[in-house]
Amino acid sequence: MNSLDIPRTFFARMDARDTNGVLALVTPHAKVTLFPLNLQGDVEEVGRRYLEQLVSAFPDLSVRVRRLFIGNDDTAVAEVTITGTQAADFFGIINQEKLMDLDQVWFLHINDGAIDRIKAYWCQNRLYRRLGVKRLDHFTITA
Amino acid sequence: MSGTSSAVAVDVVTAFFDGYRDQDVERMVELCTENADFHYIPFELWGRQRVIRGDGKVGTIGKVIWTTLIDSFPDITNKIMSITADDQGNVATEVMISGTQAKPFGMIGSLGLHYDLPHVFLFRVGKEGLIEEITAYWDTADWQRQLGWLEVD
Repeated sequence: MNSLDIPRTFFARMDARDTNGVLALVTPHAKVTLFPLNLQGDVEEVGRRYLEQLVSAFPDLSVRVRRLFIGNDDTAVAEVTITGTQAADFFGIINQEKLMDLDQVWFLHINDGAIDRIKAYWCQNRLYRRLGVKRLDHFTITA
Repeated sequence: MSGTSSAVAVDVVTAFFDGYRDQDVERMVELCTENADFHYIPFELWGRQRVIRGDGKVGTIGKVIWTTLIDSFPDITNKIMSITADDQGNVATEVMISGTQAKPFGMIGSLGLHYDLPHVFLFRVGKEGLIEEITAYWDTADWQRQLGWLEVD
């Protein structure tokens, strides 16, 4: 598997809602930072929790890679768009069965054929807006 | 692909953030091609009839947004946290942008509060050593919380 194949497979498996398949590409103690959720930790904790909530809350999840390149420090940089219709609560956001589309950027550092560091950025405000949240201090209240 | 070497691309992007730190919008624009594309992904202003997005050209909407940000946050500054590039002109930077609000910005009224907000800027740098495209990501919810504005829209 060459360097570009690893991030391509990572997002293809995310698109297929294959959580274990995604995690199989990552070293066991890889550090994951999800800035908009203020979550940071090992992939088996933070990464698995994010992926499991994502596929549970959005059973029709689609993940599309819009741009992908690998920098000279072996970091794959990917712009992706995720879409889906909410069917369950997602990190405290109550399900109102709304459709969301969300642009994200991911940094996947690759070492010896595996991902050993992950960072992701997106606008949580846009996600709140799409899912019907009205206030940042009461994001579990929708009206 | 109209790319350039990673060293040249990193140099021009570093100069861009030096210009931003100096609040020199003209210098920022000069480092871009005349027709450079501009995408501030989280930027959405929802009106009754339409949504205004941060999509367009550096010379038009980019210049206006940067000028307005500097006016609203007169001590706005930045720190590059990481930078990576390939030899096709692609550059990705993690940047901390900070400032203290002095005037309203869009829907966000001024309470005089300070913010430190992680950003990602993606660039495409052409063979001439000028920026052809800028795309930025940040979390507006985090920004608004720090500025004391809790309405989602």
